[in-house]
Amino acid sequence: MSSDDAATDALSDTEQATSGGKARVLVIDDEPEIRRAVQLGLASGEFTVAWSPNGQRGLEMVAQWHPDIVLLDLSLPDMDGIEVTRALRSWSAVPILILSVRSGDTDKITALELGADDYLTKPFSMGELRARISVALRHAAHAATGGVGDSARFTTSGLALDFARRQVLASEREIHLTPTEYEVLKYLAMHAGQVVTHRTLLRAVWGPDYEDEAHYLRVFIGQLRRKIEPEPGRPRYLLTEPGIGYRLRAPE
Amino acid sequence: MSRDDLSGYGYALLGVAGASLVIALVGRIGHVANISLLYLLVVLWLAAWVGRGPAILASVLAFLAYDLFFISPLFRFVVDDPTEWLSLIALLVTSLVTGQLASAVRDRAREALLSQQRTVTLYGMAQLIASATDHGSLFHDLTQRLLKVFTPSGVTGVAILLPGQGIYPAVRALAAAPGADAEQHALRLNSQSYAAEAAWALEHGETVGETVAHTLSRSSTLSPEAPPGESLVYYIALTSGQRTVGLLAITGKVAIRGLLSPSLSPVTGSNGASALFAACCDQVALAIDRATLQQQAIHAQALDESNQLKDVFLGSVTHDLRTPLASIKAAVTSLLGADVHWSESERREFLESIDQSADRLNRLVGNLLDISRQEAGVGTPEKDWYLIGDVIATVLERLELAGQLQGREVQVDVADDIPLAPMDHTQIEQVLTNLLENALKYSPANLPVRVSAALTTEPEHELEVRVNDEGVGVPASELHAIFDKFYRVHDVRLPWASDRPPTGTGLGLAISDNIIRAHGGRIWAESAPGKGSTFIFRLPIPDETPQGALPDIVPDAEGTTTVAEEEEAPHVE
Repeated sequence: MSSDDAATDALSDTEQATSGGKARVLVIDDEPEIRRAVQLGLASGEFTVAWSPNGQRGLEMVAQWHPDIVLLDLSLPDMDGIEVTRALRSWSAVPILILSVRSGDTDKITALELGADDYLTKPFSMGELRARISVALRHAAHAATGGVGDSARFTTSGLALDFARRQVLASEREIHLTPTEYEVLKYLAMHAGQVVTHRTLLRAVWGPDYEDEAHYLRVFIGQLRRKIEPEPGRPRYLLTEPGIGYRLRAPE
Repeated sequence: MSRDDLSGYGYALLGVAGASLVIALVGRIGHVANISLLYLLVVLWLAAWVGRGPAILASVLAFLAYDLFFISPLFRFVVDDPTEWLSLIALLVTSLVTGQLASAVRDRAREALLSQQRTVTLYGMAQLIASATDHGSLFHDLTQRLLKVFTPSGVTGVAILLPGQGIYPAVRALAAAPGADAEQHALRLNSQSYAAEAAWALEHGETVGETVAHTLSRSSTLSPEAPPGESLVYYIALTSGQRTVGLLAITGKVAIRGLLSPSLSPVTGSNGASALFAACCDQVALAIDRATLQQQAIHAQALDESNQLKDVFLGSVTHDLRTPLASIKAAVTSLLGADVHWSESERREFLESIDQSADRLNRLVGNLLDISRQEAGVGTPEKDWYLIGDVIATVLERLELAGQLQGREVQVDVADDIPLAPMDHTQIEQVLTNLLENALKYSPANLPVRVSAALTTEPEHELEVRVNDEGVGVPASELHAIFDKFYRVHDVRLPWASDRPPTGTGLGLAISDNIIRAHGGRIWAESAPGKGSTFIFRLPIPDETPQGALPDIVPDAEGTTTVAEEEEAPHVE
C-alpha cells in the first residue's frame, strides 16, 4: 500500500466518523510510527485523526477535509515544514502545532513567526500533546468568536487578570504593574498556554523597532517575575521557552 | 667574460700607463734607483683587489713599457746594455711572482669569508629548523632567510612548494623582496602560471627554469641566451634520499643563474654562492622531510588514540543503549504475553519502567549528538546576552518535567546584581543539567542540592556558578580526571543504593568542560569524600554589557499603545 493510499484510507475513515462532533486532527509527518502513536493516543474519544505522509498532500487535505488542527513535522520528504506553514497561512487560520526532533532548532522559531501556534519536541508524552491541542483549539474558538474570548478575566492557579479593570492578582494579592508590564502580561494571557516568541512579544508591545531586543526583554521579564511570581527563581506562571520566548501557564 | 672581468684588464692598462707616466716625470727631475718598483706596486694592487688575470697582464705590460720608454734605445724593443736585461727580467719575474702570491692570498681570504658566511647561513637555517614548532611558520622563516642571504646574488623572490592535493604542487610559503616588480614576479610563483612547470619539476625531480617573458623549452633549462635584465623563474627539485620531497622556487635577475651552475669562474666567486645555495636547498629538503615525518607520526598517534577511544566509546555506548532497550523489551513482552494476567499495579509498574527507559535513551542520544557535534567542531557557542537565573530556572523546570527531581530539594540562590552575560544558552543549560544530574545522582534523596550564581571580582570580573551536594564526593586524586572523556570514578558505591552502582556514560563532565572552555571560562570541582562535592564554573563578563532597557509604553484612550520615549536602546555586541 502506498503512502497516498494510506492517507486516503485515513481520510475516508475519518469522514465517516466526523458526524460525532469530534475535533479533526491532521498529522503531516512521514514517520508511520509517529502517526500510529498519535492515532492510538488521540483516538480514545474526542478526536478523529487523519494522516498525510508529505507536505503537498497535507495542504490538499487541509483544503478538502477542513481539520480543526494540524500537527506538522518540520522535516518532510517533499517540502519543509516552514514552506507548509507559509503556504497554509496564506489562506487558512487552522491552528498549527509544530513537531520537531531537535530542541535547538531555529526552524521552529521561523515557523512560529510565520504563524504556527505552538510546538512540541519529540519525543513527547501523549499528555503534553493533548494539552497543547486543547489550548490551541480553545484559542482558535476564541479567535472565531472575536476578541480575547468571552471572559473578561484570565485565571490560572494563583494568578488572575481582570482585563476590564486592568487589575492583576497574584496569590490573591493585588499587584501594581506599570502599564508596560501590564501590556506584556495581558498579551501573554491572551495567548495563555501557547508559546510567544521574543520577536512577536516585542513587536506586539513595543513595536517593530524593538524586535531584536530579546536580551532587554529577558531583563524586563525578570522584573515582572519578581512582582508576580511567589518564587521568581523558579517561575510558576511565566515560563521561559529557552531560545524561543515565553509561555504563560494555561488555565487549569 | 663579464663586464667586471673586462674592467679588471682596463685597470691593468691604466695602472701600467699611470706608473709609466710617474716614472717618466720622476726621471726628468733626476735619477732614482729602482724606480721600476712602482710597477710592482701596481701589480700588487691588481693582484690583491682585482684579480689574477689583470695582474699577469700588468706584469707583461710593465715589462714592455719599461723596455720601450726607459731603456735605451728608447721606443724600441731592443736593449743595448746587457746588464739592463737583467733588471728587465728581474722586473718581469718579480711582478709575476708577487702577483701570483698576492692573488693566492686574496683567493684564500675570499674563500675563508665565503665559508664563514656559508657556515653562518647554514647554522642559522639549521637552528630555524631545529627550533621550529609549526611547519607553516618554519617554511615562512626559511623563505625569508633564503631571500635575505641570496638577495646579493640577484634573487628577488623565494617560495617553497609541496606536493598538493591535486596534480599541481601547492605554494606553502612565499617571500618577496620589496618593490613592485619583485613582488609581482614572486606572486606569479603563487599563481597557476607555472603550475605545469612546477608539477613537471616535482614529478621528474629536476630543475626547471623559465624567463618570465618568454617560455623557453624545458630542455634549455639553464639557457645562457636569456636577454639581460629579464626576470627568471627556477623550480629546483629538493631531494631527500631518493625522493623528491618538494620544490624551491626562486625568481630574480639573470644573475641568479649563477646560483644553479657551478661551472662559472671561481675567481668571481659565483661558485661560493652556488655551493651555498646547494647546501641551503639540502637544508630545506631536510626541513620538509622532517615536517612530513612529524605529521605522519602525529597522524598515526591520533589514529591510534582515536581507535582506542572508539573501542571504549562503543563499549560504553552499547551498554548504555542496551540497558534501557532491554528493560523496554522485557516490560513489553511481559505485557504482550497472553498467558499471564497482570494486576493493574503490575501493569503500571511495567509501563513506568518503559517510560523511564525511553527518557534515559532520549538523554543518551542527546549526549551522543552533543559530543559528536563538538568533535566535528560545530559546537562553537552562539552567544547572546542571557540572565543566568533564567537558565537555571529552565534547567530545573526541565528536570522536574523529566521526573528527575522527584521531590528532591533544590535550593536556588541567584544574586540580584548579575548582569546579562554572553553565553550560548543551550550549551550552558546542558552544563547545568549535567552538573545537577550528577549532584542528584551522587547524593542521598534526603539531602538538598544547591545552585548558586554570583559575580566575582577576584581575580577578574566573572560570573561564578556553583552546584553543590552533600553526597559521596570525589577522591582528591580523581578531581581532574573526572573531566576526561569516558572517565568514571573508580568503585563508587552509593550507601543508599548499595545493590546497584550508578550508571553514566562518562561524557557529561567532558562535554561541560568543552563548553565552558569554548566560552572562555573554566570549570573545576572541589570535594571531600563523604561530605559532598561542589562543581564550579566561571564565565567571563566583558567590560561592556548592555546597559539599556526597553522603554515604557503609554496606553492611550483607544487602548493602543505607543512607546513613550524615542530612545534607541544601545546595542553592545
